[in-house]
Amino acid sequence: MEVEVRVFSGLEKFVPGAGPGKAILVQVPEGATGRKLIEQLQIPADQVFTMFVNGWHATPEQVLRPGDRVALFPPIGGG
Amino acid sequence: MVFKFLRVNTTTGEVKFERVPEKYLALGGRALTSQLVSDEVPPTCDPLGPYNKLVIAPGLLSGTNAPSSGRLSVGGKSPLTGGIKEANAGGIASQKLANLGIKAVILEGKPAGSDWYLLKVTPEGAELLPANDLTGKGTYEVTAICRERYGKKVAVITIGPAGEMLVPAAGVTNNDSDGNSSRYAGRGGLGAVMGAKKIKAVVVDSPTTFDAPVKEPERFKAAARKFAQILQSHPVTGQGLPNYGTNVLMNIINEAGTLPTRNFRFGRFEKASEVSGEKLAEVAVARGGKATHACHPGCVMRCSNVYPMPDGKVCAPIEYETAWCFGPNLEIGDLDVIAKLNYICNDVGLDTIETGCTLGVLMEAGVIPFGDGEGAVKALEEVAGGTPLGRIIGSGSANAGRVYGVTRVPAVKGQGIPAYDPRACKGNGVTYATTPMGADHTAGYAVTANILKVGGYVDPLKPAGQVELSRNLQIATAAIDSTGLCLFVAFAVLDDPEGLPTIVEMLNAQYGLNLTADDALNLGKQVLKVEREFNLKAGFTSADDRLPEFFSLEELPPHNVVFDVKKEDLDQVFNF
Repeated sequence: MEVEVRVFSGLEKFVPGAGPGKAILVQVPEGATGRKLIEQLQIPADQVFTMFVNGWHATPEQVLRPGDRVALFPPIGGG
Repeated sequence: MVFKFLRVNTTTGEVKFERVPEKYLALGGRALTSQLVSDEVPPTCDPLGPYNKLVIAPGLLSGTNAPSSGRLSVGGKSPLTGGIKEANAGGIASQKLANLGIKAVILEGKPAGSDWYLLKVTPEGAELLPANDLTGKGTYEVTAICRERYGKKVAVITIGPAGEMLVPAAGVTNNDSDGNSSRYAGRGGLGAVMGAKKIKAVVVDSPTTFDAPVKEPERFKAAARKFAQILQSHPVTGQGLPNYGTNVLMNIINEAGTLPTRNFRFGRFEKASEVSGEKLAEVAVARGGKATHACHPGCVMRCSNVYPMPDGKVCAPIEYETAWCFGPNLEIGDLDVIAKLNYICNDVGLDTIETGCTLGVLMEAGVIPFGDGEGAVKALEEVAGGTPLGRIIGSGSANAGRVYGVTRVPAVKGQGIPAYDPRACKGNGVTYATTPMGADHTAGYAVTANILKVGGYVDPLKPAGQVELSRNLQIATAAIDSTGLCLFVAFAVLDDPEGLPTIVEMLNAQYGLNLTADDALNLGKQVLKVEREFNLKAGFTSADDRLPEFFSLEELPPHNVVFDVKKEDLDQVFNF
């Protein structure tokens, strides 16, 4: 199945073809979790601090569904 | 060193130093400005009249080598909200005032004539000088002239033409080490209060920056070093903020679906990444600017930036809230347009957030089309000329809404709502509704636990837990704002159990006190009580602690949520 992934704030350096905010389409096995996606993208797990799936905070254990919009961030703040 | 108040009676022209009375000695920053305003300003007075005062105060730790401790508090009764106001700025003025032993500059009274003055403060004393030659000039030029006249290292606290015109969105600015007059105590119209006193600028000349008196130097040094390590080892304060600055928030707030777009109609903006911190850093560096920069000496987070504009000038910095208010809020996806609007505000002397909210209201009214950057720039340029449209822009979002009959006006207590939609970041919604400041994201920054997962996690889309979250953050913020520490230290302090005790240790070593962490939190509570009491006496009721109606009527995509924290629960925020 295919999910739509965006990586930000420095994580793009681990993912060929990714730019900040640029959506990339990634094929993952049915039933894949967020953790599996991060592994497949070869992003070091300790670099990912926040994951959103369709705008909702998600844990690495969350099972992805076809067409999900996934966003991955390192620790960030501001205000 | 004897701590002093510098009191300037603008009615008589008298300038005098006073020994700080006992009751104010343990106060600084926001605690001091709010206590002085509460003690000396009648709550029902006209904000632009002779009874209001402008109080400028460094924080308790400012002027020492405590990391990131150079924040400045500016207080008074707000012409925008009609309530008490503390606006907080970076820049170099705070450390210089503290090094001169000045705990507060108090501008009071109101001159009868039309002449303008400059207050010059040096180690030798203070005097009022004629400043009619500086009137009508933008803050960048005023700062450049003052640095030329009084030395490159002076701090220049000043207002632009907007402050001179007494419009209620006018801010008070001061400069960074490079002379950029962009470090604003922006919110609430305090620039108009300074203008009403006919003070165009306060120039502070101090030979030292880090030599404010410390009772136990060795103990202080150890605590300050430990605090620097705490900041540098936390991922947000040690890496996130230095790498991309505050505008790194643009993408995560967009992904969370809480980025107010097209005057709070949508929660996502398709061009968000075009105006994000990542893009800003890339463009700034490519043009010879800087992706990281300190707003004052001794800051370890360095979240500021220097953005060279196509016209050869630099906008330093572009902050997230400013990028939001002129970007997604107006459906403008071009950083150069945002930088231009930001620069004009800095120069003419307007709060960027309020101005962005006001332009959003004008776009809602059809005065300027959404997305029309050129139209926005042209309209904003009218402020300096004092045209009717320019004055409407300078009057803030709530006033502009009344003039144009707009009901979707994002404001609480007359102050524009910043860059996080309260429907999908409900903790901040509670803060906007209830803080004595009027809508202010910094007053209880629930984005931490709602979106960034710092200091715990509270689901941003549900009402549960938001009142408690906002309450605790408002208390902690009031305390931090009194220390002179940048509020961003909270990212580390909320996660690191050593954070708060180390701040308290610095305070104890500096002042020879025996405070506990509870004392620090009690200070925060006391500040809030004083501020809220002022507002009650000024005529505020629980009806003022509410969000605009449209937030409970119109669903915000993509989550399709309304603001649904109950009114009775909002009324419990200050129940402590």
